[in-house]
Amino acid sequence: MISLQQLTKRFGEQTAVDQLSCEIPAGQIVGFLGPNGAGKSTTLKMLTGMLAPTSGTATICGYDLQRDTLEVKRHVGFVPESGAVFESLSGLEYLEMVAALYSIPEAAARARIEQFIAFFDLGFSTLTDKLLGAYSKGMRRKVVITAALLHNPPVVFFDEPLDGLDANAAVGFKALIQTLAREGKTIVYSSHILDVVERVCDRVLIIDKGRLLLDGKPEALVAASGAGTLERLFTQLTGGAELERRAEDFARTFRP
Amino acid sequence: MTAGSTPSDTASPDRALRRLFLTLFLRGRSARGLRRANVPQSLASKLALTLLAYAAFGCFAIAFVRHPVFELSIYLHGMTLVFCGMFIAASAGETLFNKEEGDILMHRPVTPQALLRAKLTVLVQVSLWIAGAFNLAGMIAGIYTPNGNVLYPLAHALSTVLEAVFCAGCVVLAYELCLRNFGRERLESVMTAVQVLVAVGAVLAGQLVPRMIGRASLSGAGFGADAWWFNLLPPAWFAGFDDLIVGSGGIRAAMLAVMGVALTAFVAWLAFGRMARHYETGLQMLGEAAPTKLAAKQTSRRWLAAFVHSPLMSWWLRNPVQRAAFVLVSSYLIRDRDVKLRVYPGLAPMLVMPIALLMPITRHGTGMAGSFGVAFCGGYMGMIPLFAISLLQYSQQWQASDVFHAAPVPGPAQLCAGARQAVTCFITIPLAILFGAIVWFLPHESGELMLLLPGLISLPVFTLSPHIGGKAVPFSKAADEAKSARRGLDLFGVMFISIGLSMLATWAWLTNWFQWLLLGEIIAVVAIYALMRASLARTPWPSME
Repeated sequence: MISLQQLTKRFGEQTAVDQLSCEIPAGQIVGFLGPNGAGKSTTLKMLTGMLAPTSGTATICGYDLQRDTLEVKRHVGFVPESGAVFESLSGLEYLEMVAALYSIPEAAARARIEQFIAFFDLGFSTLTDKLLGAYSKGMRRKVVITAALLHNPPVVFFDEPLDGLDANAAVGFKALIQTLAREGKTIVYSSHILDVVERVCDRVLIIDKGRLLLDGKPEALVAASGAGTLERLFTQLTGGAELERRAEDFARTFRP
Repeated sequence: MTAGSTPSDTASPDRALRRLFLTLFLRGRSARGLRRANVPQSLASKLALTLLAYAAFGCFAIAFVRHPVFELSIYLHGMTLVFCGMFIAASAGETLFNKEEGDILMHRPVTPQALLRAKLTVLVQVSLWIAGAFNLAGMIAGIYTPNGNVLYPLAHALSTVLEAVFCAGCVVLAYELCLRNFGRERLESVMTAVQVLVAVGAVLAGQLVPRMIGRASLSGAGFGADAWWFNLLPPAWFAGFDDLIVGSGGIRAAMLAVMGVALTAFVAWLAFGRMARHYETGLQMLGEAAPTKLAAKQTSRRWLAAFVHSPLMSWWLRNPVQRAAFVLVSSYLIRDRDVKLRVYPGLAPMLVMPIALLMPITRHGTGMAGSFGVAFCGGYMGMIPLFAISLLQYSQQWQASDVFHAAPVPGPAQLCAGARQAVTCFITIPLAILFGAIVWFLPHESGELMLLLPGLISLPVFTLSPHIGGKAVPFSKAADEAKSARRGLDLFGVMFISIGLSMLATWAWLTNWFQWLLLGEIIAVVAIYALMRASLARTPWPSME
């Protein structure tokens, strides 16, 4: 479903993603982990056609990322970390606009939107009467997730999707992505909340400084490393253990 | 796209994009706290008022009814080019390259060319609304010109569409050339500089050109239309188009018309066709993370830090909150594209006023008109910081101003003071020097320069006035609110006070009461300033609703 071969992105002299290669089959939920600045968002932006790779190739649903960019975009959904929306549109206007960009007929789009707002417990009047600028962060996130799934894409990329969602909505969302995976959709899930990743994902990719460090099932990786938890394994790999010691030093010496 | 609309079975991405960008343009991009039901009314009234103002201004064209078609058209196309140029230059940056838009649209199945097409359609469409309102009276006047006829409105409408496309094409081409020729690191600053220069140029031309044309026309000197260089001016091409269809025609009109059509087609082909791929590059560049090394910006940061910590400034900015506000406002005045585009073109008319107001002195000599011109110049100088501060309250990052409310600061007084100090340093003093130099070099009677004083003395009160009631806190309002009609009305109010003061000063000058007026004004200004400062110091933070 997703195939990366030596995918690389450089910004001037800085290499953000360094020869990343992997295969992700249909129906898998893949946790995409890495510390800040590891290259996760850049990779996701390349895989969604937002950024052109410097070198290497990738195919999604059999479409070449650089040759068939529009086809790739038709087959992926993306929830960006920023959760950006056009604030001066109402929720319904925004979702209908997104549906039109995928050429979904308006009647069908309206039906799908109603399904999603029922699932997310968003009132229809909220969606029509309030502009997105007036929505809470959680409500806005629900609209962004709806906009990513509206065209029923076979591949979905989530970048910190739980940011702003309350506990109930988060539980509902986790159930939703597991259902989507069972239906054969490929989910790439980038997050810093490692216990969620550990519980939800079938497989984990850990990158740092643009390079792939580890690839495998979470429980197998944790067992093989002897770290005990995914979080401990992650900190061992990416220098987080050092940060724990520095935090203790800081707390001891910091006097406001 | 509206909630109440009947869903049809067709969904066109191109149409959806056009509707999207038109809605975003009309409503603005940031709308926290707004209810959808309130939007259309305020929007419609704002738009109607703007177009009405353009239509009223366009009535000046009636003065050209005794002139030939070509001269009327030159005036109309000259002014239309200025208005459309100003509008497109001011809107193009935000419309064409919006950073947040990347996360919303770049992963959707739409090509950059489709995005560019939709955005340009909206820019040209709104330009044509403006042009249509401004040209309305002129199109009717054209029928009654000595060589005009009923075809004039049609011919002029066609040439105006061509002009709007030419104008949009030129601005987009300028961006595309920047994208092609400058690296990613310099892109943002180069685009900002281009946009500021185009906007300032358009404002200056808008203030000066009509006055120069009017003076030349009134004195019977003509436009200088026979000069060879006149054929190089875009308004002449489109006026030639009108003249060819309606007026006397002739080989020159045909040549100008052909030049207008051919150059518009060429610019459109370059901007919307051949160079359009650079637009995609530009969108991707905006989506990339910030580069790690920005030597120029580091230099400006070091320079500002050294300036703030110099002995004199350390003493002046001894209050830490004022110092923080000073650094914030100065940084934005130097670096932020959005703020620079709002503030500098907004202040450009200020520089034109000494020239425009002192022009009558050279023609009519001194006396009531000349003295009033100098006094009103002084009034304008007094209003410079007021204009700047009223523009600095808007920002795209206005939500970040919540930090002011969260900080243990009792009210906005100290923040406002820091903002005033930054404006004094980086706008008032440099502009006053430039302003004084312009006034000095224009023909005048040196004694009359004393008439600048009443305006200058009022400067501290004008500077403080936007902050009364805890208003105009720097960067605390959404950028879209800068377009509100209320702000324009407030500024008109201040302008009338300034006109009143200038008239009083002129009367006092001519009746030898001037020194008493100055004395009275100084006492009044000191008292009012002290009262305003005390009032501001007691003002708590306004509610954040």
